Amino acid sequence: MTDVPLEGWLDAVEALQAEGFDYFDWLGCVDEIGRRDCLRIVLVVRSLSRQAEPRTLSCSLPRDNARLDTVQGVFAGAAWHEREAAELFGVEFVGGERRRLLLNPEFEGTPLRKDEVLAARTGLYWPGAKEPGESDVSPGRRRLEPPGVPEPAVWGDRDASQPAPGPAEVADSAVGGRPRRRRT
Amino acid sequence: MSTGEESHRSIRLIEPACTSCMICARECPTWCISIDSHAEAMKGLPSGSRQRTENVLDRFAIDWSLCMYCGICIEECPYDALEWVGDLTEPGFVAESLVEVMVAQRR
Repeated sequence: MTDVPLEGWLDAVEALQAEGFDYFDWLGCVDEIGRRDCLRIVLVVRSLSRQAEPRTLSCSLPRDNARLDTVQGVFAGAAWHEREAAELFGVEFVGGERRRLLLNPEFEGTPLRKDEVLAARTGLYWPGAKEPGESDVSPGRRRLEPPGVPEPAVWGDRDASQPAPGPAEVADSAVGGRPRRRRT
Repeated sequence: MSTGEESHRSIRLIEPACTSCMICARECPTWCISIDSHAEAMKGLPSGSRQRTENVLDRFAIDWSLCMYCGICIEECPYDALEWVGDLTEPGFVAESLVEVMVAQRR
């Protein structure tokens, strides 16, 4: 995988196409919160005319200002992938197709960012909270938490005198599994 | 009703294989599987061995009003206790009637 700086993205894709990697395979996005405060765009192209490994390009965008040049002018088929990344991760592809692909026009939010809270689930009973051999959730144990629902101490029941949680804190507390002991 | 062919119309529990490990209920993205189980002392242990317990399944239910037939539970089950079947799920007039209780053997 070749890391490309933000401003060289379009040139790098065009260069690969000129090199013979003229078959667009896919484009995706990864939220790297917790490691870096970045969204990573990944693009894979292939060559159909010669035997060669597919080439992978990636580019890191700051999460709070995720803007990248569109490659729809190079590979028209990238439009669908870019539209999907745009609405699910909140990335703006400058100069690209802006219509929604999957979500309702009224929908607000970026469902695949890891700090996106599944708010409707915070009040629901999770069937996975029980341990094997239990019919009821026993209180007072370090219970499993479902993914997507942050701890109440971080989101929801947060002490009003504390500053609002940052995206990294929300994402970290919503990964599910056994709650770790937190440093206070 | 079964089509007689292998298809993805509903999910069946193979009860003897289930160990009540809760993995399917925890992996389910729609939270549609609910499991009750209890621990019982194991029988037939050699005399003098330490007392051990095993989990006994009491209730296994899938709420078909929530299930999206993704098959993640089937993929994740380490004991192959869930499988696709060609049977259609029973229709119902209210959401509660779409909860199919596959095992119900209360103590």
